Amino acid sequence: MKIAVWGDELAAWVAAAQLAAFGNDVCVSLSHADTAVASIRPGQSSVQAEPGLMGLLETAIAQGNLSTALAHESLDASVYWLAMAPDEEEQAIALVRRLAQRTDAPLLLINQSNFGIGASDKLQALLNQRAGQNVICLPDTLQQGSALSQFGRPQSLLVGCEDEAGLALLKALLRPFVGGVQSLQMMTRREAEFTKFAITGMLALRLGYINELANLADLLSVDIEVVREGMGSDERIGRHYLAPGCGFGGQHFTQYIEGLAGLFSEKRRSTLLDTVLTENQRQMELPFRKLWQHFECDLQGKTVALWGLAFKPGVASIDNAPALRTIDALLAQGAQVRLHDPEALPEVRERYGNNARLQYCADKYDAAQGADALLLLTEWPEYWSPDFVRLAQALRTRVIVDGRNIYDPALLRAQGFDYYGIGRL
Amino acid sequence: MTRFIDIAHEYGLWETRELTIESCWQGLGAHADVLKQQHLKDLMLQDGRFDALSFGHEGLLLDLSRQRLLPQTLDKLMELAQASDLPGWIEALFQGEAVNNTEQRPALHTALRLPASATLQVAGEDVVPKVHANLERMAQMVDMLHSGQWRGYTGEPIDTVVNIGVGGSDLGPMMACRALDEFEPEQAKSIEVHFVSSMDGSQLAALLEQLNPATTLFIVSSKSFTTMDTLANAATARRWLQDASELRDEVLVSRHFIAVTASPEKARQWGIPLASQLHFWDWTGGRYSMWSTIGLPIALKIGIDNFQELLAGAHSLDEHFRHTPLQQNLPVLLAMVGIWNINFLDIHAHAILPYDGRLAHLPAYLEQLEMESNGKSVRRDGTASTHRTCPVLWGEVGPNAQHAFYQLLHQGTEPVMCDFVVSARRYTGQRETLQRQHQLSLANCLAQARVLALGDAALGADQDNSQPWQRYRGNQPSTVILLDELTPRALGSLIALYEHKVFVQSVIWGINPFDQWGVELGKTMATQLLAVLDSGDHPRASFDQATNGLLAAIGARRSDTGASS
Repeated sequence: MKIAVWGDELAAWVAAAQLAAFGNDVCVSLSHADTAVASIRPGQSSVQAEPGLMGLLETAIAQGNLSTALAHESLDASVYWLAMAPDEEEQAIALVRRLAQRTDAPLLLINQSNFGIGASDKLQALLNQRAGQNVICLPDTLQQGSALSQFGRPQSLLVGCEDEAGLALLKALLRPFVGGVQSLQMMTRREAEFTKFAITGMLALRLGYINELANLADLLSVDIEVVREGMGSDERIGRHYLAPGCGFGGQHFTQYIEGLAGLFSEKRRSTLLDTVLTENQRQMELPFRKLWQHFECDLQGKTVALWGLAFKPGVASIDNAPALRTIDALLAQGAQVRLHDPEALPEVRERYGNNARLQYCADKYDAAQGADALLLLTEWPEYWSPDFVRLAQALRTRVIVDGRNIYDPALLRAQGFDYYGIGRL
Repeated sequence: MTRFIDIAHEYGLWETRELTIESCWQGLGAHADVLKQQHLKDLMLQDGRFDALSFGHEGLLLDLSRQRLLPQTLDKLMELAQASDLPGWIEALFQGEAVNNTEQRPALHTALRLPASATLQVAGEDVVPKVHANLERMAQMVDMLHSGQWRGYTGEPIDTVVNIGVGGSDLGPMMACRALDEFEPEQAKSIEVHFVSSMDGSQLAALLEQLNPATTLFIVSSKSFTTMDTLANAATARRWLQDASELRDEVLVSRHFIAVTASPEKARQWGIPLASQLHFWDWTGGRYSMWSTIGLPIALKIGIDNFQELLAGAHSLDEHFRHTPLQQNLPVLLAMVGIWNINFLDIHAHAILPYDGRLAHLPAYLEQLEMESNGKSVRRDGTASTHRTCPVLWGEVGPNAQHAFYQLLHQGTEPVMCDFVVSARRYTGQRETLQRQHQLSLANCLAQARVLALGDAALGADQDNSQPWQRYRGNQPSTVILLDELTPRALGSLIALYEHKVFVQSVIWGINPFDQWGVELGKTMATQLLAVLDSGDHPRASFDQATNGLLAAIGARRSDTGASS
């Protein structure tokens, strides 16, 4: 099929790469004028860093399945895949309007953009539904770091579709991928958009709640890990999204929660999700606060090592990462900061540039060298079982703030570390 | 003053100058005798009166056309100013001469708003770099606070700032914060600013109930760092923090207190390290200090850029005051019209009436500025003043005062001069109902100025039929200060206008506006009485009967409560 992909989001590039890999003729739209084949790549470095994505794109280009054009010139496809940024709704409307003026031929428009609830209906209203021009809302459930496999082998699909022919076309398009789908639920476009918000909000509430509990546990001398296992054993609750830590980040997740928080606030004057967001921002500074209190409110001239800068393991992205707030706070207090991350160092360097008080370290033990404390902020696998003897030798004072509760407090204390977790005894 | 006396003696001019001043007073007295016979409503019939009696500088219009005078009255008043060597005094003020003669120091509030490119030598030292270095330090603190990087004892960002100060360390910042609230930039919205001044702790106690100690910072503002009101409040705040945290007092104080003072050593002894101090100098009087680091709460509220605009507005008026001929000089005109009202028309009450809720604290601010500066009866040379000096000054937001004391203005026995302050533009681009409210306020301002001046005649028709209690005699003079709009720059100009007005009047009366010896004795007495209250050791032979009587009454009531509880 001839497919035009609009947008520069992760979902756009994953769809383009996967659809092209199965022989579709995919044209990605670029906002800039450079339409040379060599320039076919995501604009955002965090998208470029998605594991496997760039390789798949290169293959598709080599096979001639992936081309590029300016968005308003790629208007002769039969399928349009929209995965644009939340602030690009106006551009999307302009493009669809142009498309409607240009053709009365049947077409399918799949919307994965976070434009809010009712946006897909608004796009449908611009098209000629009687002539077979259909909009489907297919909420984007990709998680950064494993987006390709999630697109390629989804377990469940939510489809906001109000037309049989449109659904048939979508199924044809996704046939190579949906063999393992256990549930495919049809609903209206509006319901699909709402469901996506609802899922994201639920996850945020769980994370916010467990973090609140952990902070309370801290004050009441209770170990949150024990409590968490107890909670998880109740099947009504389960174990997902119950790990306390120093805050959640990521662009996509945050945008949806902000969107839903905005709706709650505007329509219901409810601060439920605003509170979650605000508390999450505070939670990101929790490792800093533990350090601050350890050193009696004075970090001037101290050296602090940070392990893990990406907003979660497996990604190079630092969007809304706790590390950013931590670095800002440490610099403002006059501390030296030594940074390590398996993937995200280039992004951090791009943001902070050369700063005499920031050291970018390729080796995690090097980062700890001479530091007065180590803060673990992202639970990359390589941090789980370090050589503690070597670590103890590298650090000037043996202070560890474990922002993800990956270490055993008793074990570390036995080795002479001052250990602080999130709600750990 | 010695400077002029010396020069006068040297050139044998002393007699001549005194004669000239005296003849000016006499000439004005004779002129006043004639004008007193004329009702303001008749003066206001003159053609071209508004043009002849209104004056402007930047976004500020001074309308004197509802004063009980003629254009030629201003000429005579300017002769008095000239004879009193006002231009020489203005230069002395700006050049940092010891115009505060009883304390032998300059009064350099104008230096606080000089641009960085200026220089001003005082006692062999350029003060401008010192001023700007402190402004820069203040800007850094503001930036730390705005960016959420000033941390309390838990490591949480400070989100609440409480200014503890009294008098000049309270009124100026509070007035400006209220006036310029809508100029709060985005980054300042994370910080809530409060003011606490009352000695008895009633403001502070109520406030502390609502605040989080971990995220609250106190600014202790005291020039001498001995002000007992302020230190009592600061001690309560410190105790509140100690009760909330187990950290050492030293750590708590260093993270939760900023001192703004001209006495760094005293602040350090109290426990605030130099790194948490901002300074100004003994040549800044408390009531002239909102331009200095005392303005920290203002900068926190409106941002450093807007604070700079406030300074720029004041500086612009400084330049106007220094360089504009007396006849066109706004502070000089405002002051000399005051002299006319006080000394020639016998008016000794002055109402400040802003028609703008944002200027709610302006009357209290001007009460201190004017009455603490010129509420004096001894001249610079130690002799008693032969003229009446500063009137009783009070005020309120105009439309509210209309429902309170305007009755007295319109039908009382006291002559009162009024200053109306209002802006032409407000709520531009905002809701229509709000624009309507401003329109209503403007209409009331113009109406009151008109009725005060004209009385019944404002209605035009013959009022002879109305009952005596329905009559308005009018003839109350007023000044209208019209701002284009209330901005940081305009507020800076407005306040500098009044500061210089006060100085001009002090020159005419021959008094020193920069000391305040009249507030000292009460402090000494309070210290004595505190000791007696603490010890319960009274009556005292050295005390008067009235004091001993009250001490006994208080003692009796306290022991009663003690017995019954």
